[in-house]
Amino acid sequence: MFGNRVLDRLDQMLEEALNGEFKESSYDESKISRLETKWKQYLSTSCLLKENLEKEKKNIKGLVSDISHQTKTPMTNIRMYAQLLEESLENGEPEQNRRLVQEIVRQTDRLDFLIQSLTKMSRLETNVVEVKPVMQEVEPLIAEVVGGAQSKAREKEITISCENAELYKAYYDLKWTKEALGNIVDNAVKYSPSGSKVTISIREYELYLDICVQDHGIGIREEEIPKIFGRFYRSEEVHQEEGVGIGLYLAREIVRKQDGYIKVVSTPGEGTEFHVFFRKNA
Amino acid sequence: MSILKTDELKKYYGTGENQVRALDGVSFQVEKGEFVSVVGTSGSGKSTLLHMLGGLDRPTSGMVSIDGQDLSELKDDALCIFRRRKIGFVFQNYNLVPSLNVYENIVLPVQLDGRVPDEAFLKTIVDTLGISEKLNSLPNNLSGGQQQRVAIARALVSKPAIILADEPTGNLDSRTSQDVLGLLKISSNKFAQTIVMITHDEEIAQLADRIVRIEDGKILARE
Repeated sequence: MFGNRVLDRLDQMLEEALNGEFKESSYDESKISRLETKWKQYLSTSCLLKENLEKEKKNIKGLVSDISHQTKTPMTNIRMYAQLLEESLENGEPEQNRRLVQEIVRQTDRLDFLIQSLTKMSRLETNVVEVKPVMQEVEPLIAEVVGGAQSKAREKEITISCENAELYKAYYDLKWTKEALGNIVDNAVKYSPSGSKVTISIREYELYLDICVQDHGIGIREEEIPKIFGRFYRSEEVHQEEGVGIGLYLAREIVRKQDGYIKVVSTPGEGTEFHVFFRKNA
Repeated sequence: MSILKTDELKKYYGTGENQVRALDGVSFQVEKGEFVSVVGTSGSGKSTLLHMLGGLDRPTSGMVSIDGQDLSELKDDALCIFRRRKIGFVFQNYNLVPSLNVYENIVLPVQLDGRVPDEAFLKTIVDTLGISEKLNSLPNNLSGGQQQRVAIARALVSKPAIILADEPTGNLDSRTSQDVLGLLKISSNKFAQTIVMITHDEEIAQLADRIVRIEDGKILARE
């Protein structure tokens, strides 16, 4: 059926693949040469899959240690404040008691926030909840996102503005996109100086709708831009700010699941623009 | 896993005083699935670099390897077939065949290679790129942005090891450019497609996962 030479070559190809060192022998118009290319393609795809699985495994390991680390601090604090409170109750100092209770509440909030973020992340990753984009107006999205960031913005006297949101429609899932865009606006507020402005603007393209969040904050260095979307990534420069480094990771995953993408343009010292692109059709 | 690797790549034109060092020792790598943009002004050597990466021209010295194959080891005929199978090109001027309709243009490189196009994959691509309604149209009846989307589909369908895009939005207005780039980015995500895009435009380059800057034939290290 086959010539011996072809069989020998096939055998050699398998052998090389088993040893992980397959290389195409020639590039010509013969069938065997085409087959070699296909074989190579298959091998690199499965090799990539394997690499990704390995990476994923490592990720999970890292994730577990991160989670235990992140939850430990508030837990320890709660325990400590509770013990202090116990002692303080016996001495009966109302002012001191109130302070300790407040501290416990604050730490509990932090823990709660962390656990909520982790739950969202795992639900998204395991596809337990699906992102279901539909064609709809963007105004409710903007309104909810701005509303959600308002209290923090007011503390720092930052104004968040958006014009003409009622004119546009896009293909998105309200519940999840609220989370994605909300995280971006929260960041804008968090890393902006007091009294500055955060501007949301919308621009329409033939296929995409661009919702841009612009701040006048500290900015991000170019080399850092790809990293900020990584899980638990925190820039050296902002370690003193509260946060766990999940917000942008979630944002990108959510936008991706709707066939959109995020573009970041930033000048350190001047500010950052986050452009979130949504599809305008299904 | 690196899919593209160059080592001390040099391309000199002319000799003596007239010698031009278009590339003067360029070493870099691109990982599988990465979307990298190479930025440089005109005369920086970026087009020369793209020609070397695509096996369209041979370097004076140094090495280019794609998918584990050192390009200098290949004779012209083999290199031609290698390009067809391993590299997808997207050019500034689209380079579609005017007498073939959109579908025929997209499957052309696969058919030239004597293979049968993967129809299911093709459908996902044309749906993603928003050209499923245009498959029977001739290129001349499409807008520039649509033509470039066809060119992207053509590059994707043969599942090449790498796509090289040379100023893919050079002939498009800024609004259409954003759309085309967005689709390129989404395709890179969705199909784990490695893409190297050459451009002079900083703004356009921002969309990539990583930016490589080239000036006077050398890669600029940034601190």
